[in-house]
Amino acid sequence: MGIDKTTALYETFKSKLQVLSGECFRVNTAKEAGELVCKVMKEKGINNVALLNSAISLKGEFVNQISQAGITVYTDHFREVTPEAHAGITQVDYAIAEFGTLIQARNDASVDDRLCSTLIPIHIALVSTATMMPTLAEAMTTIHQLPQIPGFVGFITGPSRTSDIERVLTVGVHGPKQLIVIFVDEQVEGVA
Amino acid sequence: MDKDFKTKISKALGDDVLRGALGRFGDAYTLARAKAYEGYDFDALSENIVQVKSYAANHIDEMMDQFEKAATARGAKVYRAATAADAKKYVSDLVKKKGIKRIVKSKSMVSEEILLNDDLIADGIDVQETDLGEWIVQLAGQHPSHMVLPAIHMTKEEVATTFSGHLKRVEQPVIAELVKTARVELRKKFLEAEMGISGANIAVAETGTLMMLTNEGNGRLTNTLPPTQVFLVGMEKFVRKFEDAQHIIQALPKSATGQLITSYVTMITGPTPAYYADGTVKDKDFHIVIIDNGRRKMFNDEKFKKTFQCVRCASCLNVCPAFQLLGGHVYGHIYTGGIGTILTNFVNSERDAKNPQNLCLQCGKCSEVCPGKLDIPQMILELRNRMGEKDGIGAAPKFALDVVSNRRLFHSMLRVASLAQLPFSKGQPVIRHLPMFLSGLTEKKSLPTVAKVPFRDVIKKVKQEVKKPKGKVALYAGCLIDFVYPKIGEGIIAGLNEKGYEVIFPDGQSCCGAPATYMGDRKNARKCAVMNIEAMEAEKVDYVVSGCPTCTHALIDSFKELVQDDPTLLARAEELSRKSRDFSKLLFDLGGLPAGGDGVPMKITYHDSCHLKRSMGVFAEPRKILTDTAGVELIEMKESDRCCGFAGSYSIKFPEISGPILDRKMKNIEETGADFVVVDCPGCLMQIGGGLDKKNPKIKVIHTAELLLQKRKKAKMNKK
Repeated sequence: MGIDKTTALYETFKSKLQVLSGECFRVNTAKEAGELVCKVMKEKGINNVALLNSAISLKGEFVNQISQAGITVYTDHFREVTPEAHAGITQVDYAIAEFGTLIQARNDASVDDRLCSTLIPIHIALVSTATMMPTLAEAMTTIHQLPQIPGFVGFITGPSRTSDIERVLTVGVHGPKQLIVIFVDEQVEGVA
Repeated sequence: MDKDFKTKISKALGDDVLRGALGRFGDAYTLARAKAYEGYDFDALSENIVQVKSYAANHIDEMMDQFEKAATARGAKVYRAATAADAKKYVSDLVKKKGIKRIVKSKSMVSEEILLNDDLIADGIDVQETDLGEWIVQLAGQHPSHMVLPAIHMTKEEVATTFSGHLKRVEQPVIAELVKTARVELRKKFLEAEMGISGANIAVAETGTLMMLTNEGNGRLTNTLPPTQVFLVGMEKFVRKFEDAQHIIQALPKSATGQLITSYVTMITGPTPAYYADGTVKDKDFHIVIIDNGRRKMFNDEKFKKTFQCVRCASCLNVCPAFQLLGGHVYGHIYTGGIGTILTNFVNSERDAKNPQNLCLQCGKCSEVCPGKLDIPQMILELRNRMGEKDGIGAAPKFALDVVSNRRLFHSMLRVASLAQLPFSKGQPVIRHLPMFLSGLTEKKSLPTVAKVPFRDVIKKVKQEVKKPKGKVALYAGCLIDFVYPKIGEGIIAGLNEKGYEVIFPDGQSCCGAPATYMGDRKNARKCAVMNIEAMEAEKVDYVVSGCPTCTHALIDSFKELVQDDPTLLARAEELSRKSRDFSKLLFDLGGLPAGGDGVPMKITYHDSCHLKRSMGVFAEPRKILTDTAGVELIEMKESDRCCGFAGSYSIKFPEISGPILDRKMKNIEETGADFVVVDCPGCLMQIGGGLDKKNPKIKVIHTAELLLQKRKKAKMNKK
């Protein structure tokens, strides 16, 4: 994908996500992503975080960076820690520019991936910029063409929300109240 | 229609809270929906939905077999339940076998339909709805009033009271706080639940995938935490291919809530891993229950097959003038609004649909927004007809319609009425039972009087000046123009004469049968059709013109359907259909009128009649003709195509609903500052005219044909 096209898709994604009160960033390297994660968590007063390690977080040495920032990092026992953790960090597999949507489509349908992105009040999602697709149609085809449709495919578009009482929009119900998306341009090998 | 039903209606109408909430929602929804579809081709999208869903409907057994095979291959257990009882038994047995005590549910309308919770709770199981609206309704001991927004009928104060009662502590009526309470309370339930029950929006046959579209995150939690999972899937959810689902994923959020896409779309294919009580991670025990419960009967019925194309977005409810006033609970069962009435007829019983089917105005607004292209009013009419055929339509309406379908009797009665002292009082027997314009007075509007000389006599004296004759047009007047508003007929003659057409009036014509059609009396409707097909002799003229869109709709569409069984009549009906036009449409098609008009400034606003706009797609034509007239300034009103509440006999059957619908129209008209409301339908003319007469007599209502007659006649006189 050309640089211009990528940037155009990113801008679309960002504008769609911001309308839904999601936060969106783009960095060059995994290391920078780690730095940004620390900065954002400090600003938000996050003291501990459930980190499901991934290609980007390993390459960016997230555990070290976050610990050094004075924030507790949990990297296992997610069933116990996620109900209380302040935030969760996961890497998602694709993004759709059309709606500002993230896609979780791990072939192992990891339950920890879901816990770290669902139970916590703040979800920080890492995404490789190269996985961005323009439209829903393309995303559906991409998922269908995987060797097998993963047991769990989750589209995430902004934080959780409800309008069930008097149709007044309230952000943050059962799922995360905040969603922070960080696109990483550096191509990092390995499973998300 | 029974008394209890009427009581429920007046209760709903008297509920200011409900009216306020629904009113605000209706207004906001229209805007949000329009915005969400910006940049998308709604027609193309709905055409795709029609294709994928109708394919699945036509191959339903194949879909279920494929789905079962694919899902089973991935480790799911699939059960097909023919009835509600079968489905409940399956779930209940599973719960007992596994010793499950705590269940969380994410939203499933089909579980509401089969009343699953009642059974589980009776077995001593802790069942928690987790969708906020569903939870509120559950705690309040009610049923959802709306498919997408289950608690739309409740205020924050009522929610706070409900929560306080449940939690035994005072909850403040602050929405953000109430939502927080739900998060905290239900989080505990999610973490301790042993079973999760979910509904699905889409089931993909080829891959065995279930998809759900949610916003709150409760769906994801229900699908993630409990080690045993049950999906309840209505038989109408199938699509063939994985990619087919995208059309529904596109349209459902936009149509349901005006979102581009919901916060979450979750796709589950077979069991996924979960944490078990002992801390180990293993695949879930994963069950899928496919539920028929009356659906197959519905799809096998040619007239109702298209219900398979419904994606349950509820946009038909959101735009329905009756639903907006009444909310969902008057419909009596789980599914509400127009589509709900149809579903109720099949998943509950015909008896259960009998009352709510009356609520449909036949305005067609719902069909305009339906992403599955369902003709909901037509289906409701079909229900009405079947019920009418089976149970009769009641003695008084039956008598009235028998009269109307007997031309001589009907017309002689009308002539008698024209001689009697007007206006009519309820004390006059017979007359008050005539449908439409002669029936009971309402509080909201005054009714017009019957013309002294009916149009059929007027036309004989009209001198038609046709220079350079081009052809002949037969005028179909319909009851209102013939007997109440003959001036409209004169306007039609003048307009068409100017275009070079002689206008004839076939004497044998009578009521178009719409009152019978809309009251479910197909027999009398057919009598009217035959009478008019024979009378109009379309073979002998170039066009048939009508100044009443309801009549035109009958001429173009209904007659053909009613005489389908008779090939000779059908051929004649088809010719009549081809040649029939509504007045403004015919005038426009003939090239409109040459520049003219008296030039005197006249501020008008235009009201679109339901039949003209939605049955015939005519709305630009009258505006063009009107604004081509010198002096006329058109100021568009808000919601110009929203029903005025007349809807034929509806305004008599439900004056309490028709009244507030008219009030809203009045408000929209007044806001324009126009001096005249122009309409193309004498029914709307009567309804709006009656309303203005009571509320704001300075504003006048006038039919397009009559306006042209006035403005152009004056111009001619000026020239002289």
